[in-house]
Amino acid sequence: MDTITTIESPDLADIGEADLLRLMAWLSPSFPVGAFSYSHGLEYAVEAGRVTDRDGLLAWSSEIVCQGSGRVDACLFRASYEATFKGDRDLMGWALERGDTMRATRELGVESEGQGRAFTDMVAGPWPAREYDWLRELAAELDRPAVYPVAVALAAAAYKIPERAALTAYLHAFGANLVSAGVRLIPLGQSDGLQTIAELEPVVERAVTAAMVDTRDDIGSGTLMADWASARHETQYTRLFRS
Amino acid sequence: MATGRAEIEFTYDGGRTRLAHLDQSDPLRILFPDVADDEPFTGALVTTSGGLVGGDSLGIVVHGAAGTASRIVGQAAEKVYRSLGADVTIEVKLDASDGAWLEWLPQETILFENARMRRATLADVGAGARMMAGEMIVFGRTAMGETMTQGLVRDSWEVRREGRLVWSDALHLDTELNATLNSAAGLGGASAYASMIYVGDDAPDSIDTARDLLGEPEQGLYAAATCVGDVLIVRWLGANSLSLRNAYGDFWCGFRSRIAGYPAQMPRLWNM
Repeated sequence: MDTITTIESPDLADIGEADLLRLMAWLSPSFPVGAFSYSHGLEYAVEAGRVTDRDGLLAWSSEIVCQGSGRVDACLFRASYEATFKGDRDLMGWALERGDTMRATRELGVESEGQGRAFTDMVAGPWPAREYDWLRELAAELDRPAVYPVAVALAAAAYKIPERAALTAYLHAFGANLVSAGVRLIPLGQSDGLQTIAELEPVVERAVTAAMVDTRDDIGSGTLMADWASARHETQYTRLFRS
Repeated sequence: MATGRAEIEFTYDGGRTRLAHLDQSDPLRILFPDVADDEPFTGALVTTSGGLVGGDSLGIVVHGAAGTASRIVGQAAEKVYRSLGADVTIEVKLDASDGAWLEWLPQETILFENARMRRATLADVGAGARMMAGEMIVFGRTAMGETMTQGLVRDSWEVRREGRLVWSDALHLDTELNATLNSAAGLGGASAYASMIYVGDDAPDSIDTARDLLGEPEQGLYAAATCVGDVLIVRWLGANSLSLRNAYGDFWCGFRSRIAGYPAQMPRLWNM
């Protein structure tokens, strides 16, 4: 595969109103991917007393965004964006295969696959693009689902939304969803929740900056305790969340 | 810098598992200790250099042909010394053909401060075959009070069934290790972790057995099981590498006994 080519993707500075409107719509908590029903293992972490307050929630969420699923998702996002931009089947095949198989736990897999399927189903009507057909055919051929970061990256690339802006919006939505789950589970007041989201801003920026230079060979994560919580969540007695 | 290679192939012949092929180069060597008749054919993997330095590269290939029952055990803990920049690379290929049983049981890898290691374990499990594969990493010479704060740890897995990738995973910790090692969602202050991956048609049905064997771990030890397709993943995290090692060993014995009827014992080397 040629790796010399640089993507002719627009720069962050070039983001236009239409790009912003689409990112806000696609990554809004009201976009029906069911994000509210996934806690990414936080439900068990709270039950086990590993996350008990606002500072704990910020630390937990930050680590997952920078070193956990956020890091893996960012890598898949970038590969899918580039693949869509160039029409590179091999690279998209890699993203589909990694996205499908890189599941630390059963429930984290369900979370990413479920949201990816919902996003792909819902986005194509209001925001049509022929790239969805390309992805659908390739996914069927390889028998791999398009997980959430792959699906969002494809839409962003199809609509020529600057990559860095799209990835920033994606990781922010991911982090904010963790905070939202924490607000309900710990529980925290709305102002503490918003404070946590504000404090996540530099974390998201850091994660995006790191993702822009990470190589695909280094895809991976370091959040073993979050994975532990997710695995334990499978047998948690009282559960509100699907992950 | 050393480049070691060990290639072992087992075949099923005359109603039993036999060694079909062995190729080894320093610093890797395979020994064949006597084991009880009801144990799989057992090889012990030795690193004769006493530890790995930056730039060292090890390649290990184990192939259990159809119908074989085999087990490869690490002879001792593996040490990875501090590196001035170059990575230690280790690639392990485990291939269990149709109906085979294969156990891969290395002892713990001890990473010194500033060690750099990239390890990939690539498994392919054929139709009706079963594989138990493990790993254990200790971050720093904990017995001396050393913890790892800098270095590179990449430990990746790719599991295939009849050639198709079904599960992949990568622990990837780079440079500021202490932040992730100590963060609540990271390693939560653990200085050791272990994984047991079991692949087989009966993996989804074995998760209750796994959870039953894990029980409620002792204080300071975190363990959990999950199953993705026909890959069962059990992981341990803990601040005390010795108690983690014991829990891991107990589980290994119990699991091989409950699902395959092998003796509920670790190889003698494990306790030496």
